[in-house]
Amino acid sequence: MDKPVNNRAWFLVLPVLVLVAFSAVIPLMTVVNYSVQDTFGNNQFFWNGLGWFQEVLDSDRIRAALGRQILFSAIILAIEIPLGIFVALNMPKRGFWASVVLVLMALPLLIPWNVVGTIWQVFGRVDIGLLGHTLAAMGFDYNYVNDPVDAWATIVVMDVWHWTSLVALLCYAGLQSIPDAYYQAARIDQASRWAVFRHIELPKMSGVLLIAVLLRFMDSFMIYTEPFVLTGGGPGNATTFLSIDLVKTAIGQFDLGPAAAFSLIYFLVILLISWVFYTVMTAQKDAP
Amino acid sequence: MTARSVSAGFAAAALLMLGILGWLVSLVPVDNGAHDWAGSLNPGGWMAWTFPTALFFWVIAALLLTFTWAAIRFPETPRRGILGIATTRGDRLFVSLLGSAFICLGWLGLIGTPAWGGLAIALLYAAAVFRWV
Repeated sequence: MDKPVNNRAWFLVLPVLVLVAFSAVIPLMTVVNYSVQDTFGNNQFFWNGLGWFQEVLDSDRIRAALGRQILFSAIILAIEIPLGIFVALNMPKRGFWASVVLVLMALPLLIPWNVVGTIWQVFGRVDIGLLGHTLAAMGFDYNYVNDPVDAWATIVVMDVWHWTSLVALLCYAGLQSIPDAYYQAARIDQASRWAVFRHIELPKMSGVLLIAVLLRFMDSFMIYTEPFVLTGGGPGNATTFLSIDLVKTAIGQFDLGPAAAFSLIYFLVILLISWVFYTVMTAQKDAP
Repeated sequence: MTARSVSAGFAAAALLMLGILGWLVSLVPVDNGAHDWAGSLNPGGWMAWTFPTALFFWVIAALLLTFTWAAIRFPETPRRGILGIATTRGDRLFVSLLGSAFICLGWLGLIGTPAWGGLAIALLYAAAVFRWV
């Protein structure tokens, strides 16, 4: 903590800043401009002040979508992070099977989002889908098209299937970087399996785990394609997450002003939660 | 780079920023001799600029420039405040801006327009962040 910070190296990232300016900053500035104006097309804009922000904040529909989104991300993190760690701990460390398992684990990550949605849409159908048909044959009243709980369960299972691999692979990389000497020391001390995990593996994984939590939080909070393909936001609005609602407003109804205000609030929420995760998880590491 | 050349560079940047501000003001549409401050700066043009949004980004850019200059001219060590996390001036600026955005949104959601009260609370909040965080 007694090292003065030299910020001059920031000049070296100027080329990246230029690229990011075109891919992110200028579009974001345009969204800010749209959020305070109204348009009837033809690139003509009229001042509307903070009206759209007020409309978005007062909208019960958007509040409900935000609630669903937070619940979804919480469920996803609560399942995928522990499950990913568990899978990583049980993956073979070296040899032929290590390579086989790595390839198998990477497979879901290679499938495009809309294909994942389509796979599960067919997989879950009661008439022809393997999952839906099997569940129906076993006597379960499963139908993700009509039943909100079934729709949620299908989306959650789909996301777990698609993305747990990412957490597992990141944790696996973290585990592989732990030198054997740590485990030998733990054996000499007759440390329990839990103690090895708590005091060696978890601290050594914390760096990659931070990345995993951030990626999974941001991705699940911005999820669009898979639920859109699988349920289209239904039944009713049961699986209409923020991004689905936003796209309906922006592209379906072409309400650029409300959609821009909505996007900015959405962006701020993601920024805040990511910052909190980052700060909490790095503060633990830097703690004296 | 000497401290003098850095300061000279930032002085030039400050002049440029003032020039940009003057240019933005000159673009504000005038209707019957009165400035239409919320009018379009480039009617029908790219990005649909207005003076208030341009001023918002101008202030952010000015803050970034000022803090960059301050970080080079007066190097600092991170400190621990009431949040228990090590922060530099830049971190405190980020916390101030992010918090201010939520304060203004909260004002809009609970009280409504105009949002000057929210802005005032946000400025107090920013001062508190710089003093205690």
